Amino acid sequence: MKIVQIKSLVKQYQKGKIEIPALRGICLDVDRGAFVSIVGPSGSGKSTLLNLIGGLDQTTSGQIFIGDKDLTRMNRAELVHHRRNTVGMIFQSFNLIPSRTALENVILALAFADTPRKQRKKIASELLDRVGLSRRLDHKPGELSGGEAQRVSIARALANRPVMLLADEPTGNLDSQTSKEIVSLLKTLNKEKKVTVLMVTHEEELANQVSHRIIHLLDGKVDREESLENFP
Amino acid sequence: MKIGDLTQMAFSNLWRTRLRTSLTALGVIIGIGALISMVSFGTGLQKNVTSVFKENDLFTSLYVSPQKIDTEQILDGNLEKTAGYFVKGPPSLNDSALIKIQAIPGVEIAFPEIRFPAKIRIGNKAAKITLQGLPASMKQYRPFSNLAYGTFFSGNAENEIVLTQKALQKLDLRLRDAEDFKTISLEDSIKGIRSIDSDSLLNCEIEIATSVIDLKKISGNPFQYMTRLSNPPIRESKEKMTIVGINAKTNPYDTGRFSGDVLVPLETARQIPHLSFSSVWEILGTKNDPDSYNALYVRAKKIKDVEPIRETIEAMGFGVVSITDQLKEIRRGFLILDTALGAIGTIALIVAALGIINTMIMSILERTREIGIMKAIGGSETEIKGIFLIESGCIGIAGGLFGLLLGWIVTRIANLVANFYLSKEGAPFIDFFYIPLWLILGALAFSILVSLIAGLYPASRAARIDPVRALRHD
Repeated sequence: MKIVQIKSLVKQYQKGKIEIPALRGICLDVDRGAFVSIVGPSGSGKSTLLNLIGGLDQTTSGQIFIGDKDLTRMNRAELVHHRRNTVGMIFQSFNLIPSRTALENVILALAFADTPRKQRKKIASELLDRVGLSRRLDHKPGELSGGEAQRVSIARALANRPVMLLADEPTGNLDSQTSKEIVSLLKTLNKEKKVTVLMVTHEEELANQVSHRIIHLLDGKVDREESLENFP
Repeated sequence: MKIGDLTQMAFSNLWRTRLRTSLTALGVIIGIGALISMVSFGTGLQKNVTSVFKENDLFTSLYVSPQKIDTEQILDGNLEKTAGYFVKGPPSLNDSALIKIQAIPGVEIAFPEIRFPAKIRIGNKAAKITLQGLPASMKQYRPFSNLAYGTFFSGNAENEIVLTQKALQKLDLRLRDAEDFKTISLEDSIKGIRSIDSDSLLNCEIEIATSVIDLKKISGNPFQYMTRLSNPPIRESKEKMTIVGINAKTNPYDTGRFSGDVLVPLETARQIPHLSFSSVWEILGTKNDPDSYNALYVRAKKIKDVEPIRETIEAMGFGVVSITDQLKEIRRGFLILDTALGAIGTIALIVAALGIINTMIMSILERTREIGIMKAIGGSETEIKGIFLIESGCIGIAGGLFGLLLGWIVTRIANLVANFYLSKEGAPFIDFFYIPLWLILGALAFSILVSLIAGLYPASRAARIDPVRALRHD
C-alpha cells in the first residue's frame, strides 16, 4: 500500500524576476512502513521535496497524495492537521526551542495537538525514554550534545503518532559515531513502530545500511532508484 | 491549542523578555495615568459644580420676572412684537398671579422675592447688608433644614433672623468653631476681626435699620430734592430682631438664589419699610402697579416638572429664568473640556501603542525561527496570532491596572498640593478630582483595546511567516 504518491511534482522559487526551478517533475511512490532514503548532491532538490511532503511549502504544479488525499488541494486546517498529526519532521539543525527543556519541547508538540494536559508529561517522558534520554528531561537544548538534541527532536516528531517521519539531513551536524546511532534509532523505530521513514541525506553509506530503497535526485529530477531489500 | 496553553506560552515569552515587557508596559502605564488624571480633573470639576447646583436646588428653581422680553426680537430690530408690552404694560406679577402660579401642577413652593438693602447693628458692630425674606416653609429644604447653628424661623411673621457667613464677615466677626481651634491672627485682630462663640450670638438682639422715602417731605417735582442733598426726603426705620440661626456654610461656588446676607421671615420682611433696589420707580412715583412684585421664586417638585411649569408661566405673560438653560450650556462646556483633557491622555496612550507595536515587531524578528518551528510541528496561524495578541493584551491589562494606580496617586498628590495652597488662603478642602467607575472601567477597556489593536499587525505578520524560510533563519 502506498502512503505517498507523487505525480509530476514541480517547484519553482521566485528570486526577484527570475524563476529558479528546484523540482522539475518528480514522480515517486513510497510504501507504507518503508524506510526510503533520498540522496543527491546539494541543490538537487532533496530538502525542497521533503518540505513539500511535510506541507511546509507550496507546490508549483503536480500532486502529492498522502494516502488518498491530495496535499496540494488541502485547505489551511487540513494542512495544519497534516503537519501536526500525519508527519513528524526532523531537521539537520534540530530546531528545538532553546528556551524550553527537552521535556517542554516534546510537550509543545502535544499541546498543539490538544493532548489533555494531564497526559502530556507522561507521554513526553515515555517518548524521551524511548530515544534514550530519560536522564536529560529537564535540560535545555544548549546543555545537550548534538546527538542528544537530535534524539529530542525525534521524540518530538513521534509525539502525535505520525504515520511518517520526514528527516532532513538528520546526521548533517553529527560525528560519524553519533550519526550511526541516530540512523539506527530511526531504523528501530521504523521496524518496531511500523512508521514510514523518509530520510534526506548525502551519506550514501549510512543510507545503504538501513534503507529499503534509495532514490537518487539530480537537478530536480529522479536520476535513478535502487531497491536494497525485499520489502513486503 | 487551548487558550490556556496559548496564555501560558505568551506569559513565558513576556517573562523571558521582562525588561522590555516592563518598559513597554510603562509606556501604557504613563498613558493611562495621564488619561485618568486628566479626565478625572474634568469630572471632578463637573461634580463640584453640579453638586453645588444640586445643593442649592438650582435645578428645580425657576425665577419669574414680570416681563417677558424677547431679547432676540429686540436685537433683531423687530420691535413690533415687543412693543405691545410697553404700550399695554406688562401683566401684573401680583398676589393673584402668585396664587395662580402656586396652583400649577408640579409647583412645590412659590413666593415673591423680597430683597432690599439694610444696616444691621449688633453691640458696637454695624454693617451694610442685603436682607432677604423667605417663607418659614423653606425650613424643610437645604441648607435651611440643616443650619450650622440654631434653627430656621418658627413662623412667617416672627421677628427672627438668620445670619449668614457673609453677614458675619461684614461685621468683622469670626465664629469660634468647636472643631476649629485656630485663633485669629494678630493681623486679623488689628483689622478689628473678633472671634465669637455661636452660643453668644444665638438669641441675641440685632437691630435692623432701613431707609425709606418720607413721602411727606416730597411735594411737587421729586427732582428738586436731588440737588438738595443736605435735606433728603429719607428717614430711617428701625426694627429689633432675634438671631435664631446661623448659616455658616461657606460655599466656594455660592451663587445661590438666596443671596441675602441676612434672612428674615417673608411677612416680616414685607412689613419692614424699605426702599427696594428697583425703587427708582417708586421715587419717581411712576410705578404703574404698586402691587406687582419684582420677581417670584418658584420651586418645582422634580427636575422634569421644570419645563412644563416654565411653559405655563410664560403663557401667562411672565418671563421665566431657570438654570436648565444654562445647564445645557454648562454640560456642553464640560463635554468640550472632558474631550480636550481626554485627547491629551489619548495622545499619550497612542505613543504607548506605538511602543507596543515596536516591541512586538522586535520580538517577532527575534523569534522568527521559533515561529517556524511551531508551524512545522503543527502550530496553526490562528494559534500563533493568538500567542502574540495575548502578549500585547497582557501588556495592555498590566499597563491599564498600574496606570489606574499611577493616575490615582497623581490626582491625590495634586489634590494635596492644591489644597495646601488653598488652605493658606483660608479656603475649605475641595476634592478637585473625581474618578467615577465608568472612568476606571473605560480606561481599562481602552488600554486593553489599544494594546490589542497595536498587537494586531505584528500578530498577523507573525502568523504569515513562511516556515521554510523561518527555519533557515538564524
